[in-house]
Amino acid sequence: MTKPIALEPPAVVRATAPHRRRWLPFDRWHLFLFPFALVMLFPMLWMLVTSIETISEARRFPPVMIPEGIHWQNYPNALKRGAFGTYFLNTFFVTMTVVVGNLVFCSLAGYAFARVKFFGREVVFMLMLATLMIPYQVTIIPEFLIVKWLGTHISPQIGIDSLGALIVPGIVQVFGIFLLRQFFRTLPVELEEAARIDGASRLGVLFKIVLPLSLPALATLAALTFLWTWNDFLWPLIAIMSPEHYTIQLGLMNFQTAHTTSWTLLMAANVMSMIPLLIVFLAAQKYFIQSVATSGLKG
Amino acid sequence: MEATGRRRAPLWLRAVHSDHVAGWTLAGPAIFMMALFSIYPVIWSVILSFQRKNLLSGESQWIGWENYEALTKDPIFKTALWNSAKYTALFVPLSIIAGIFVAVAVNRKLRLMAFYRLAVFVTLAISTISTAIMFLWLTEPTYGIINAFLHALHLPEQQFLADTNEALYVIVAMTVWGWLGFVVIIYLAALQGIPQELIEAAQIDGASRWGIFRNVTLPLLGPATFFLVVWLTINALQLFDEIYLTTKGGPLYSTTVIVYYMFVQAFQNFAAGYGAAMAYVLFALILVISIIEFVVGKRLVHYSA
Amino acid sequence: MSDVTFHGVTKVFPGPTVAVDDLSITAEDGEFLILVGPSGCGKTTALRMVAGLEKPTSGSISIGGQDITDLSPRERDIAMVFQNYALYPHMTVYKNLAFGLKQRKTPKDEIDRRVRDASGMLGLDDLLKRKPGQLSGGQRQRVAMGRALVREPKAFLLDEPLSNLDAKLRVQVRADLKQLHRRLGITTVYVTHDQVEAMTLGDRIAVMSNGRLQQLGVPQDIYDHPANMFVAAFIGSPAMNMLRGVAREGRVTAGDLDVPEVGVPDGDVVLGIRPEAVRPAGDGLPSFEFEVQVVEPLGDEVIVRGAVTGQLAEVETGEEHAELLPQLPGSRAVITARFDPEVRLSPGMRMRLGVHPDRVHVFDARTGEAVR
Repeated sequence: MTKPIALEPPAVVRATAPHRRRWLPFDRWHLFLFPFALVMLFPMLWMLVTSIETISEARRFPPVMIPEGIHWQNYPNALKRGAFGTYFLNTFFVTMTVVVGNLVFCSLAGYAFARVKFFGREVVFMLMLATLMIPYQVTIIPEFLIVKWLGTHISPQIGIDSLGALIVPGIVQVFGIFLLRQFFRTLPVELEEAARIDGASRLGVLFKIVLPLSLPALATLAALTFLWTWNDFLWPLIAIMSPEHYTIQLGLMNFQTAHTTSWTLLMAANVMSMIPLLIVFLAAQKYFIQSVATSGLKG
Repeated sequence: MEATGRRRAPLWLRAVHSDHVAGWTLAGPAIFMMALFSIYPVIWSVILSFQRKNLLSGESQWIGWENYEALTKDPIFKTALWNSAKYTALFVPLSIIAGIFVAVAVNRKLRLMAFYRLAVFVTLAISTISTAIMFLWLTEPTYGIINAFLHALHLPEQQFLADTNEALYVIVAMTVWGWLGFVVIIYLAALQGIPQELIEAAQIDGASRWGIFRNVTLPLLGPATFFLVVWLTINALQLFDEIYLTTKGGPLYSTTVIVYYMFVQAFQNFAAGYGAAMAYVLFALILVISIIEFVVGKRLVHYSA
Repeated sequence: MSDVTFHGVTKVFPGPTVAVDDLSITAEDGEFLILVGPSGCGKTTALRMVAGLEKPTSGSISIGGQDITDLSPRERDIAMVFQNYALYPHMTVYKNLAFGLKQRKTPKDEIDRRVRDASGMLGLDDLLKRKPGQLSGGQRQRVAMGRALVREPKAFLLDEPLSNLDAKLRVQVRADLKQLHRRLGITTVYVTHDQVEAMTLGDRIAVMSNGRLQQLGVPQDIYDHPANMFVAAFIGSPAMNMLRGVAREGRVTAGDLDVPEVGVPDGDVVLGIRPEAVRPAGDGLPSFEFEVQVVEPLGDEVIVRGAVTGQLAEVETGEEHAELLPQLPGSRAVITARFDPEVRLSPGMRMRLGVHPDRVHVFDARTGEAVR
């Protein structure tokens, strides 16, 4: 019978490890990470604190760390002085339209560039890629003139100082076409061929087969487009003049110009401006921090 | 008797069903918009740069290379170039170094890691304007909390954004803070792409923690670093929003950067032609720097098979 | 002296999963010890603990008598070949080989000498300037070996180094490995799931399952005298035939096979008969009826599958003991036999096969342990 034989080990010499780690009750990386996280969050935390102080508290020296009470008044006051509700609606309308527009048009175009062999496809695609290399500052001046022309010759709804001006130039972006084309090309073409043999039209294939499989790419495109459009500043700055058409960024900038020393109101306004995106971020972060960034954690 | 052989469909029907028509129908709207808002402006911009054109009134006049010549003699433009260069030379390396370090720090299993990562990534959701406003308040010379800290430490208080020597550096700090989330996400993804086995092999080979970082991790982060250097440089050269909100190019032009000056000329002085010329110089600058970075990158960066 | 010894090593992962359970074995100085078992049996975890990539939950590990349990990998003077080779993709073959020595501050000419020695031994001289991405699988495997060789360590640890090679290359490299070990004589701990590799390469093999050592011994011994049903079924290809049987008063019966076995206590047993242990009945050996179903001529031998009376004991080789699965009613037990090619059989033939009692393994049906 061959059971494992417990060999009598020779006298074991305990090796002294050259460095015995000193025992902290926690991992030493916390020593860096915790202060660092606080430093990173500090601007926002300070903004929050200021937004609930009275102006005299805010001006006190040394600064008050914990205010005496919560001065919520700053928020309605800020709303009175700046039409943030309007700004929010404008931004929301513009952003959602641009996102939907991009999803639709970039899908159609991206699919065409990926799967449909049409005359001039490669040349046009190269041209589009080339435009990606060009900084937007080059095109922004003529864009202004084009939109101005559209406003006088087609409709004021898409001319200067309209919400249309914020929507139309960005409703199809080359980046989106590129992103989706690349993604579509990674899908197995056999699926689409099988569908076409089964009798589906090109559009049918796109909507019933390709798009359902492309949700990650579509989500990415939607998220990025949403972020860029929401935070866009330079174009709205030059295209919009009337306060009733301001986006949140413009409104915030304008508020700051008008109330340079009303820090508490300004911070309240800033907080209100951040909330929509922060909510979306916090809701999405579970999906995106968890999946993208938490995967592969090493011990 | 039945006719044998299929007859071909009429030409117009074949045309409608053809791939060419399908392709152009699907891509048509997008191509049209791109032509209108990308290609046409690029060409028009070239033309503008050879004109003196008033943005509002629309009158224009052909002046050939005058705009470009004027740029070479424009002291403010030279300052803008210099400021943009200074800013980029600080912003890009700082962002990269900070990004690598933080990415390594958050690439581990620790308690509170979700909190740490949140603290880093949250800046992605904050607009440039919001960032600028927060930093305006932090660095406020009289009531700002940073000066209060300095005072408590018996250090001299600063004027920050109101100081010609300091303003640009405050902008650097502000934007490094704002971009950190993005840089860390890229590096974190890259770090997680490094097979654990490689690190283990290096440990067994006898490399110290620093040795592993220097000889294995860092080289394998090459592609990510390359991408970030190019991307961050391009964005740094396009700095505008923060300047507009905080210093408006001042004090004394110390924060005037290329795009800000272009904005002033094109949209405040309404010199559309001059602005277009400046935009093209910026384009050329970005192109040249990107090419240099590509050439250097090709030699230094290794892509694992 | 550089024997590698596990002293009661246990490793528990959060779950809780017991990956290694009280393992105590020694790879003697200069010995080629193989840890073999199905996936998840704990062999790789055990190896990684020797490397220092995992820490034992309890127990200790020593090399050459020195307890290394608390040492980091770099302090242990061991070298490892990973299953996927783990070559540094951005370094040339030369730099890959030299890396460990460089990190340990070896003088430059010493590095060069050792690298060229290893490169010569493994036929890598022409590849020194290439990067791993430009090499074939077999070449990469040799570089991984070379990287371990240049270190001249106290012990080699190999984690399934042949599993990513194609079959032909595998046989070739197996022979090379054996030769190399003979030449260098460095203590080697080798992990594989392939029992053919284990049998052909090892000085001794340790069969593991579910974190526990099943049996430790020289290959032939393990083959001829398996300690339990798991080892019996795992080692040997085609696998040993397992039949349910009953032991009564010194005789063991399974179907129509009746074998005298002295010293076997009464009760339910499992009979194990290797395919090559049977031959056409004759010369007074205990025999049983066999109806040929499938004949597979292999040229140098013939594998025949046929039905017998009696019932099979289905052995789950993933489990610690062999589990006796209930047999489906109405089906017939099918066993595998191996004959010389001269034996001419065809499907449908009925015959009697005989087996020598000494070659019948008897296992306790409940515990799985070998009784005889």
